[in-house]
Amino acid sequence: MRLLLSALLRKPLRTLLTVVSIALALFLYCFLESVLYAFNVGVSMSSASRLVVQHKESLAFQIPISYRSSIRQCEGVSAAVPMVWFGGLYKPKDATGEVREEFFAQFAVEMQEYLSIVPEVVVRDREQLRALLADQAGCVVGDKTAERLNIRVGDRIVLRSQIWNQPGNKPWAFNVRAIYTSDSPSFDRTMMLFHYKYFDEGREFGKGMIGIFLMSIQNPDRFQEIATAIDRRFENSPFETKTVTEKAFNMQFVQMMGNLQLLLRSIGSAIVLTMLLVAANTMMMSARDKTREMGILKSIGFTDAYVFRLLIGESLVVAALGYALGAGLAYGLFNLAEVNPKPDFFPIFTMPREALLGALGIAALTGVLSGIVPALAGMRLKATEALRSV
Amino acid sequence: MPEPIIQLRDCTKVYHKGGERILPLDRLSLDIEEGDFVALMGPSGSGKTTLLNLIGGLDSPDEGGLIVCGQNLAELSPRGLARWRSRHVAYVFQSFNLLPVLTAFQNVELPLTLMPLSKAERRRHVETALRIVGLGARMHHRPDELSGGQEQRVAIARALACDPRLLLADEPTGDLDAQSAQEVMDLLTALNREHGKTIIVVTHDPKVAQCARRQLHLEKGVLARDTASEPARRGGA
Ligand SMILES: Nc1ncnc2c1ncn2[C@@H]1O[C@H](COP(=O)(O)OP(=O)(O)OP(=O)(O)O)[C@@H](O)[C@H]1O
Ligand SMILES: [Mg+2]
Repeated sequence: MRLLLSALLRKPLRTLLTVVSIALALFLYCFLESVLYAFNVGVSMSSASRLVVQHKESLAFQIPISYRSSIRQCEGVSAAVPMVWFGGLYKPKDATGEVREEFFAQFAVEMQEYLSIVPEVVVRDREQLRALLADQAGCVVGDKTAERLNIRVGDRIVLRSQIWNQPGNKPWAFNVRAIYTSDSPSFDRTMMLFHYKYFDEGREFGKGMIGIFLMSIQNPDRFQEIATAIDRRFENSPFETKTVTEKAFNMQFVQMMGNLQLLLRSIGSAIVLTMLLVAANTMMMSARDKTREMGILKSIGFTDAYVFRLLIGESLVVAALGYALGAGLAYGLFNLAEVNPKPDFFPIFTMPREALLGALGIAALTGVLSGIVPALAGMRLKATEALRSV
Repeated sequence: MPEPIIQLRDCTKVYHKGGERILPLDRLSLDIEEGDFVALMGPSGSGKTTLLNLIGGLDSPDEGGLIVCGQNLAELSPRGLARWRSRHVAYVFQSFNLLPVLTAFQNVELPLTLMPLSKAERRRHVETALRIVGLGARMHHRPDELSGGQEQRVAIARALACDPRLLLADEPTGDLDAQSAQEVMDLLTALNREHGKTIIVVTHDPKVAQCARRQLHLEKGVLARDTASEPARRGGA
């Protein structure tokens, strides 16, 4: 099939443009799928053995830490960790002396118990772990954030919370005692965790109130039963609760983004579709130019089936090149070079395997659809007609 | 006496054009002997191309039948016909015979790829064919780097490469200047004389027709005249 490749080279520029436009469309598709995956990755990183107790109405409301002991008493519950969303901004000076504003997720937690029920958080250095537990003003930072913002063990970092004040509007200072990583590829490695006690003592208002309890249960199959028991316990109290699985909890955030996702998906699909149509159109046109050549091939003794394979093969090759280029670029960028276009927003940004397969499907479809019409026409073409047409 | 290489029996071809019936071939019968060199002449629209296409199996008659190279073409499937064509017949058209993306060498090699030949064997055939047409030095040029006459010679080389028994040429000199036309005709004459190919050339040019041994005149789909010309130039038989 050297003939085939030669045919592609016939108009190298046109072929190149077609390949590039397919590649671009597929790259866009892969990027979009990665964004959507990044939105949803929180859901997939949840553990089935963890539940979350939150305020019944909304996450915007707090619940009292005093619930902790009652929750722990519930049958089947092995731990209940208070967690508070801190919402702080980190403003380091960069090399030029300019102050930047950086964001990453921070939580005040009951450290020891948190680490025991979230084994995904791994502090490799025992010494760091000991220091973290010993220092009330200590904190542990995910390695991705540490790397991004150049934070090291022993640093003192200052945050300004958009929610929590200290008396006299004093900024919050923490000692970085440890860096955590994770063995689970879908676990968030961008968080900062610090001691609830230090936080509660420091804050000016809202003392004793927390955002959620993260609970661990012994038997994940019994979660419904346990959730109902807890919520019933606080029924008719001033702070009614809603207990959900960690997965359902994370899903709430995804659902808040629901419309955005839909919008992204529709815009993206429209762009991808347009580019593919353009590419398909170009391929069909290039095939139409070849009528005469197909006639010659047939007069030489090439069969109709050969002509069919030749034309469809050509568009498949173009589509395959576009796929290799587009999906390859996305894979290299997001999965090998681990480029994250918005690290403070997406803790995890990789292209899921499904995107690679999806792009392959789209490429194959483009190749077949744009090749099938000219290929069928070429196959049916009578040599006598083709040769007369000049 | 050996069987004629081409036997046409009452071949009719009908086209319908806007309710009008056109008969490019009207119950035509014709025998052509192996090794003959035939010039097919006649006014435009008289059915010359149609006849050539029937003989080469590119088209089939609506009535009647034909046996070419001992094969009744009506018995072949389209696929079988394509294979048969690749083995026995070669075409040279008036122009645009070559695939523009391929070099002269590759164009000549094309029909050989349909045969069970090794790469080395193919190369040998191609080189021989190109040498016969006097283009051994231009093997790696592409069609747009060749003159019209050279292009036609490459087309003839391609026709030769598979060693077909029958060579069909439809106005091969139609687009050429007198000098190139003469070269092409000399080449065809040599192929006929020295290699024993049966050749049918469609032409409007009486000078070209002079090179042939037999001249057929078609008119409105029927044979108007059938003359054996004196083997013109170069003395000969
Ligand atoms: N596919 C077709 N549909 C309709 N009519 C056709 C078709 N092919 C050929 N014809 C008609 O058949 C007749 C013979 O055509 P043909 O091409 O055989 O003539 P020709 O002798 O080769 O003419 P020219 O010297 O101009 O090449 C013409 O009147 C032509 O219009
Ligand atoms: Mg004609």
